[in-house]
Amino acid sequence: MSEQVTMQEPSAEQDFSLNLDDLRPRPVEKRTFSGYFMPPRHSFVLFDPDKCTGCGTCEMICSTRNTEKVAPASASVKVVTDEKLGKNFTILCQHCRKPLCLPACPTRAIEKGNDGIVRINKLFCTECGLCTMACPAAAPLKDPGNQEIHKCDLCEGDPLCVRHCPEKALTFTRGKAFRWIKGLRWTIQLVSFLLLVIVFIGTFCYFKTGSVSFACPTGTLQNIASSGTIVLVSASSALALLILTILAGRLFCGWICPFGFVLDLVDKITPKKLGWPSFLKSRMTKYGVLAGAIGGSYALGFQAFCTICPIGTLCRSYGVQSFFKSAELAIVPALASLEIAQRRSWCRYFCPVGALLGITATLRLIKIVIGAKRCKKFSCIQCAEVCPVGIIEADQLREGISPKIPMTECIMCMRCIDRCPYDAAKIRFRWQKAVPGEDRT
Amino acid sequence: MKNRHNKIAEAKRFSGADGCVECGRCVAACPMAEMYTNFSIEMSPRGIIKKTLIGNPVVEDKNIWYCTECNAGTDICPQGVSCRDLIRKLREAALDENLLENAKTCKCCGRAFVAVPVENFVYGRLKEEPPNVFGVLDICPPCRREIYLQRNA
Repeated sequence: MSEQVTMQEPSAEQDFSLNLDDLRPRPVEKRTFSGYFMPPRHSFVLFDPDKCTGCGTCEMICSTRNTEKVAPASASVKVVTDEKLGKNFTILCQHCRKPLCLPACPTRAIEKGNDGIVRINKLFCTECGLCTMACPAAAPLKDPGNQEIHKCDLCEGDPLCVRHCPEKALTFTRGKAFRWIKGLRWTIQLVSFLLLVIVFIGTFCYFKTGSVSFACPTGTLQNIASSGTIVLVSASSALALLILTILAGRLFCGWICPFGFVLDLVDKITPKKLGWPSFLKSRMTKYGVLAGAIGGSYALGFQAFCTICPIGTLCRSYGVQSFFKSAELAIVPALASLEIAQRRSWCRYFCPVGALLGITATLRLIKIVIGAKRCKKFSCIQCAEVCPVGIIEADQLREGISPKIPMTECIMCMRCIDRCPYDAAKIRFRWQKAVPGEDRT
Repeated sequence: MKNRHNKIAEAKRFSGADGCVECGRCVAACPMAEMYTNFSIEMSPRGIIKKTLIGNPVVEDKNIWYCTECNAGTDICPQGVSCRDLIRKLREAALDENLLENAKTCKCCGRAFVAVPVENFVYGRLKEEPPNVFGVLDICPPCRREIYLQRNA
């Protein structure tokens, strides 16, 4: 308090009008390193429509907290009943990741705390009801009596509605604490990158220890096309990767591919994407590249694509022994720069290795399903955001439809499974019909 | 015309507008000042109360459609005048005379549920959201809950 306060004469140029940004600035989202593996908790109440009987106990118990008497109309939850269909649904605040009510509030009374709970600050709230207007589920409710707005604040961590629901249709969860798949994937990617690029040279294309050998399936196909003879040893060694693809989808692309690892790293330093021109936005291009590679090899008599293949050049030229050996060095940075346009643009549109694995993945045993019933639709969409190949339809999820994920395109990075706070994204066997949230008996 | 006169008299009586002492507290508390750049005495609660009291044509006035019907002015008034109730009654009178150009009607049930300037404000604030959010804003909150039930239960 010892600081000297100097008063300045107001000049004509200075604008002294204060607006809300000066008085109550919007909080800035901070990204920390610990938040990368340990995300901020996203608390919420999960509702199971199959168990709900529409009794209204949640409304009654909630209203005692708002008004200190039992008056279901002044509750923060609302049970909506459809008599014709015999369906009940409880409208609850979803405590969205990016709440729509927050920007809509004219007095900035709505805040999202560090614990993920969206609260209305009664000090600033004027009960105008614009939050109800902005919310897609119209979850903030206007009390018909004193015209106050009531919105769920999760009872500060111990929701009464969950405790008193007689059918246990409501469950309270604090979200995921730790993302282990992410750590595992990055470790495996790093180890396989070191093994394939630094330790053994040219290992992805062809690698042999004793009687065990592995070969790139696309390279083997080109070899067959160019030489016109099938070498059974190399053909059978190429099958290893195809069998892995049948068992576990395109796991190679997401977890092992060294060029994919480079692309993921480049993606980390270019978070802003410029967008891809729409006339090139055809995922069929890579099958064309595959056909061209095989046809070219047949015509030219040598493995045409392998000379410019980014995975191959990365393995061949970037090792310790052969670094700065050839002009092949330029291929990896050139194709990695496509990452500026879209995440994994090479993998999405051009990679013939991925194309061959994609064709093989039509025989896959497993699939990834996202059950829209279990997830929170419009308020989350994290799976569609993190998907590096962009195959999850955000618009379908917002409508509440479970999106169909094309497994020929999916690179099995499992980012969606890792991210989903509601356990709605799951790995299932191909023949399992049910999606999470609908498989209860 | 007789009907409208009765309605305005009813609005005045219901909201206690006759007790207004023009202190201006409602204008100080009104969130409309933050919402609209063209906020003026014409659209402020005090201006609307005054216009109603001196008998200006207020039902056709566009300025009654800027209000969000919040509690701020009502809570702060020392005379217990409810500007919210007054504006609500005036809007009802306008809707009865089919002056619908400033009221937004629900796509599903067809009822008027929000004033157009208020909705434009919400649209403006949600500019950065994906476009299919706006499909939701055309539906009134009870219908939205109903749609939510249909989709999810």
